[in-house]
Amino acid sequence: MNKAFEQIALIEGIIAAAFVSEEGKLLGWCSNSAISQDALKFVSETCRVILSANRAEQRSAETGIVAFGNRTLVFREGAAGIFMAYLDSPTNDAVLNWLWEQVNPLLEAEGIKLNIAAPESA
Amino acid sequence: MNKMLHQGLILTSQREYAQAMRLGLLGLGNEETRVDVEMDALRAMQLVPQQYDLILLDTLLDSMDGLQLLLLLKQQAPATKFIIVSDSPDETSRAHAYQNGADFFLERPRMPEVFRTAFDAIRGLLVRHLDGKASPDGQNGATSSLADIVQTRCLSGDSVLLLVRSKSQSGDIFIFRGEVHHAQYPGKSGEAAFYDMMHWDGGHLRIRELKLSHTPPRTIEIPYRELLDAAEKSGALDAGLRPPTGELLVVSGDMPSETAVPSVVLEAPPRGEEEADVPEVARTSELPVANETPIPAVNSHWKINLMGELVEGSQIAEPARSAFITYFIYRKLADVAVTLEVDYFTNLTLFGPHLQQVLVADNMGVRHAVFETAWTTENLRNQYVQWACEQSF
Repeated sequence: MNKAFEQIALIEGIIAAAFVSEEGKLLGWCSNSAISQDALKFVSETCRVILSANRAEQRSAETGIVAFGNRTLVFREGAAGIFMAYLDSPTNDAVLNWLWEQVNPLLEAEGIKLNIAAPESA
Repeated sequence: MNKMLHQGLILTSQREYAQAMRLGLLGLGNEETRVDVEMDALRAMQLVPQQYDLILLDTLLDSMDGLQLLLLLKQQAPATKFIIVSDSPDETSRAHAYQNGADFFLERPRMPEVFRTAFDAIRGLLVRHLDGKASPDGQNGATSSLADIVQTRCLSGDSVLLLVRSKSQSGDIFIFRGEVHHAQYPGKSGEAAFYDMMHWDGGHLRIRELKLSHTPPRTIEIPYRELLDAAEKSGALDAGLRPPTGELLVVSGDMPSETAVPSVVLEAPPRGEEEADVPEVARTSELPVANETPIPAVNSHWKINLMGELVEGSQIAEPARSAFITYFIYRKLADVAVTLEVDYFTNLTLFGPHLQQVLVADNMGVRHAVFETAWTTENLRNQYVQWACEQSF
């Protein structure tokens, strides 16, 4: 997993990224700023709670994008856990598709497949 | 109106503190002011509490639990102001004190400067108390000093939302655990809003306090004492030194506020008088379009305020649950924002196999829309965000 995140850290615009397992273990992470492992884990877990709450409301979702001003938090849940990336830019669907094109092969090489059930746009 | 202390009582088992506090309280009155000290709780129960304007009471007395004594005394003297003084303030005893009728929860002052601040806060409490006596309806008839209330609540470590009304405007100040976290009124937020509000109607305003149960947005980082000092200085500038830049809103009741230039774009429109008191759900089939962007076709959409109350919505199957989930997400993303050390989220998009959701936040609340994934495009989602922002002006 470290190898994948070494590569993910090189993706343009990524400030930090992490993958947290279903059991709540931080399996991989990278950070180009002062964001700690604990902070990454907390953010990932919080995103998972948001998705879980929506499932309980019959509005299931696997992917979320949160804009904090000019920064963006992206998260996507798969069977094995949740992946999050914190970006130093606003995003749109094209940027997100490009991001997944970069990230998915790296995670899949580690045996992790994220859900891509939801098309970003019809 | 004489806003001084006439008769006070200090119930404590700590003699030195009692002497220092008594001297300070005498300074809040005149030559006729009387401040009694009682160190025996059983003897204190034989006093007539109604005779006192103010009773200071320790949480722990030698022979009795001060909070239990508070409950008894408050029942006998509901008009008297009670201040609970604690050596080790914690949330549980604070909550217990307010539950039993305390008007103010104070950590026992030990340093001279802390004593001074405590007396300032007590003076503020008395001013409000005596103003309230002058007008039975303190909310509607009397005005209070906003600075005094902010100082009192901060010193007490409270979490409250102050609903502030001047002759022509209304705004909110969020105090969380003894610090001012956020201030807002239509057109402005943060420190600038706080400074303006402190000078509305000369700082004497109609103020309603609500208990704050959640972490509010944080747009103000400086300690409350510095904030109050800066507000005072900004008042001096307003009085004569600051050139008219057009940045400050006109708050006089005689002048229309459209002369002001809003400095923050994501704000809500002015609230009606009745809306602040009793939030009601406007069950509209089509919410009004303020500017040019029409609202896109959505399955349902709604808006909550920062207290988690549903304020408007359309085609919501379960309004209470919908408001709850929006508030839940808002709270969770507030935690994330704090962790990442960024401002509050501006919008969130959730993608699911059947539904997509867009949440748009501003300083007054959160809008939440649900779309069908099958026919939703990025343009539609962006259109909703645009529409929501326009509603916020």
